Amino acid sequence: MCGILGLYVPGGALPPTEEFIPALERLRLRGPDGSGTWRDESVLLGHRRLAVVDLSAAGRQPMESTDRRFVITFNGEIYNHLQLRHELDPVGGWRGTCDTETLLEAYRTWGIGCLERLNGMFAFAVWDRMERTLFVARDRMGLKPLYYSHTNGRFGFASRPGALNLLMNQGALSIDAEALRIYLEVGYIPAPLSFHEHMQKLPAAHYLLIDARGLRRVRYWDYRAIVPDRHRTVRSEGELLEEFDELLKDSVRVRLMSDVPLGAFLSGGVDSALVVGAMKRAGVAHPKVFTISFNEAAFDEGPAAAQIARHFDVDHVQETLDVDSLVDLLPAYIQEFDEPFADSSAFPTLAVSRLARRHVSVVLSGDGADELFGGYHYYPIIGRIAPLLGRHPRFRHVAQRLLAALPLHRLKLLAGALGSRDAVTLFHYLRSVSKDYPTLLSADAAASAGSETWFEQFASCFAMDLSAEEIAMRLDAGLTLPDLFLQKVDVATMAFSLEARCPMLDYRLVEWGMRLPLSFKLRNGETKYLLKKALCRDLPAGWVHRPKMGFGVPLAAWLRGPLKAWADDLLHDASLLSRLPLERSRICELRRLQLAGEREAHPLLWSVLMLLCFVQSHDAKRVAPFAYREVA
Amino acid sequence: MPSALIICTEVFANGGIQRFNRTLLDACGGLGIACAVLSLNDSAETVRAHAHDHRHHVAGFGGNRVRFAAAVARQLLFGRHRRVLIGHINFLTLCVGVLALRPLRAATLMLVAHGIEVWSGIGSRRALALGRVDRILCVSHYTRRRIDEQVPGLDDRRFVIFPNALADSWRQTVPADFTRPVPQRFILSVTRLEPGDRYKGVATVIEAFSMLSDAEVHYLIVGHGRDADFLRAMAARFGVADRVHFVRGVSDAELIGLYRRCEAFVLPSGKEGFGIVFLEAMFFGAPVIAAREKGAVDVVRDGETGIAVPFGDVIAVKRAIERLAADSVLRERLRANGLSLVTDEGPFTFASFARRCLAQLGPETADAA
Repeated sequence: MCGILGLYVPGGALPPTEEFIPALERLRLRGPDGSGTWRDESVLLGHRRLAVVDLSAAGRQPMESTDRRFVITFNGEIYNHLQLRHELDPVGGWRGTCDTETLLEAYRTWGIGCLERLNGMFAFAVWDRMERTLFVARDRMGLKPLYYSHTNGRFGFASRPGALNLLMNQGALSIDAEALRIYLEVGYIPAPLSFHEHMQKLPAAHYLLIDARGLRRVRYWDYRAIVPDRHRTVRSEGELLEEFDELLKDSVRVRLMSDVPLGAFLSGGVDSALVVGAMKRAGVAHPKVFTISFNEAAFDEGPAAAQIARHFDVDHVQETLDVDSLVDLLPAYIQEFDEPFADSSAFPTLAVSRLARRHVSVVLSGDGADELFGGYHYYPIIGRIAPLLGRHPRFRHVAQRLLAALPLHRLKLLAGALGSRDAVTLFHYLRSVSKDYPTLLSADAAASAGSETWFEQFASCFAMDLSAEEIAMRLDAGLTLPDLFLQKVDVATMAFSLEARCPMLDYRLVEWGMRLPLSFKLRNGETKYLLKKALCRDLPAGWVHRPKMGFGVPLAAWLRGPLKAWADDLLHDASLLSRLPLERSRICELRRLQLAGEREAHPLLWSVLMLLCFVQSHDAKRVAPFAYREVA
Repeated sequence: MPSALIICTEVFANGGIQRFNRTLLDACGGLGIACAVLSLNDSAETVRAHAHDHRHHVAGFGGNRVRFAAAVARQLLFGRHRRVLIGHINFLTLCVGVLALRPLRAATLMLVAHGIEVWSGIGSRRALALGRVDRILCVSHYTRRRIDEQVPGLDDRRFVIFPNALADSWRQTVPADFTRPVPQRFILSVTRLEPGDRYKGVATVIEAFSMLSDAEVHYLIVGHGRDADFLRAMAARFGVADRVHFVRGVSDAELIGLYRRCEAFVLPSGKEGFGIVFLEAMFFGAPVIAAREKGAVDVVRDGETGIAVPFGDVIAVKRAIERLAADSVLRERLRANGLSLVTDEGPFTFASFARRCLAQLGPETADAA
């Protein structure tokens, strides 16, 4: 795993390389093992290396092809690179064993078509010195980040927005109003939007082609149009379980490629247990697995994880913490997420990454299974509500009024959900952090488009006749997963220079999951039906069907306790608030309600606090502020 | 003179079903089959303004269901029509219920199954009523299959594939110059733009269009509706707002020019009952890109009469557009094959449609399917 960046100025006039260094240093934690730059008259490429495969100098980047026509800077791993090498014939033979060299040769041989052959997680750029074109691509599911900016004829890209800001020498913070609104609404910003007005995130499964004439963004892979198998009887449950087992095992097997120690995250849940089980089957005798355990039983999956670890006979490394001690990670949280990031589950992810990095450089994680195989609690709820949306509007109106009049919060939510037009707007309603966030925004900002149209736009290319649950899963897989959860995993692991690999997001498994009939994802209100069945082959059913705990932290209590003074200082900082299109009085009121326990406003308040932290630290981040964090 | 009673939703308005009804009346008129038409939604004024064919008698009820139902009952109980054609499944139970009161009826009862209205939710009452229908005229094989899946056991001989055809009026329309500026090179879609019509695939085309390497090509969307703003915003997000043009108020005469000039007619729609708009495009020489879905597959056969792509597949749409632009031989073959469907002895000509009408509504073949 690494950090990459680059600048392309078609007319020349590149800045000196020294001016480039602060931006590269900003990516230091992504690649502490070395750095390199390459330039010609119009392109400058930079790379920070976390050496995982081929630790020798032959893996250094930016890397030139043997014919010197192409230059690459690459972040990620190509898991099938050894297989691809059989099909490639580089001039002068292979120089080392690094996947970067394979990728470069693949591009030299197949051009853009190489993307279809890659199995991996990646963000990379290739400069073609002959054609004078820059090719920039991101992996299928959005595991590795890539931000870019195309302003005043200059094109820049980087792994993180902070580095790109330094690279493009953007001065004052200019916030994208639409991104701000969507962030407050759903807690993340869907690609290609970014928080900065001049900057975009390259969406998953897209590439960019940039030359003197301009820029073109192209999607090269798409799961949205995959039609699920409708007939359960086509393949039996046993056959599907076999197929899943084989796919997962192979997906894990290819991800074991590493020249440094490798382990896995293990919670007490289904997904990480499946991955660890597959590691064993793939031939890893005693993999190291990592768990954070909490002294507070309400948050603790430690005993469950320990039970699973004993059963699998793995080397279990567990750290037990007070949940409140996670607050100590707040500075790292704020520093590492260059954009406001509202998901507080980043705390435990940071903690487990810190623990794992003390022992290994690479971990496998179970991320992605919930979105592909129906793991979230709201999928069955959507399935139950969606048929009601087809009822007569008068019926819905009456039901809404009745439910809204009742004192239970969940019934009020249901009343709101009944106002949805269709499955997409229903998903949007249930997935949004706050329903009344527009009241926090000034009139101008509130007038910008919300996330609903982004969801509708993304869903407009879904296969025909999907169920409401399938629509929700595909929206999560395409929007929530890359722009929220995978961003969290990437940033939290990179904060400790740890590489995370997600076998559940192998594209073969994704395509298979998209075809899997819904009844093997959700059945009788049970989530992840097939995955639990698969795990029941290895573990006792009682362990598999334990209620899911999630990665929660007691945010509401923190904001009233250990983080109270910090939060109040930020929320009462008039000069800070004045830089954002927010209504100060409404925010103060929200805080009052939260402190008084009259409203569970902590998710929205947390979003606002992260926003304020981001603005506060923006100027400070313009110089490289970090030293490599010791983790041992 | 043989006569038929046609019970339908609407004749004189835009839309596939309405267009089918008009083509049907034109064909019957030409065959000397006089029709009595009961139209629920046409108003009396609309009927007066449009119904110029005096061989038929069209009664419009302006949406008044009670008067419409009373007229249907009266005609079914006391009329002397030898053929009764129910133009929409919504009227099926009413008609079958009324006819149950006239056990000695001599009329042949037929239902036209267009598309989406029968693809799901037929229900037990309608299924029972379907058992009383002599013939089910399905506009596509997909429609027939969907009925079969919902109401298994219906006699095969009751089903007749009765595809739509290019309206004869197109043949007589004199092309007119398009007075508004038109880009030199463009791809074309012609469709309604309502939020409920997103299955038409215009959003897919916009995304695919934004990925094309050829920045000289524009995208013309002929049609209007409440979804135009959503699609405009989408074009802006994909950075092609300056090359995606929404055009409304285009006459048939002007449309001919657009069909003739476009590089491809692209409508990867997921729910076409038949897709008559593809026939129009083919008739005027436009190579067609459609989705491999529902009724459209009867018309657009991949590589023969057009390019068929999976619904929603932006990459496939992009490749199809690029393929057509790059391969003139393919373009010409698709043009020629497409044209053959709607000219001479092609299956979707007005003459073929008239022959199908004669077989079902004509005098001698009352009981032949």
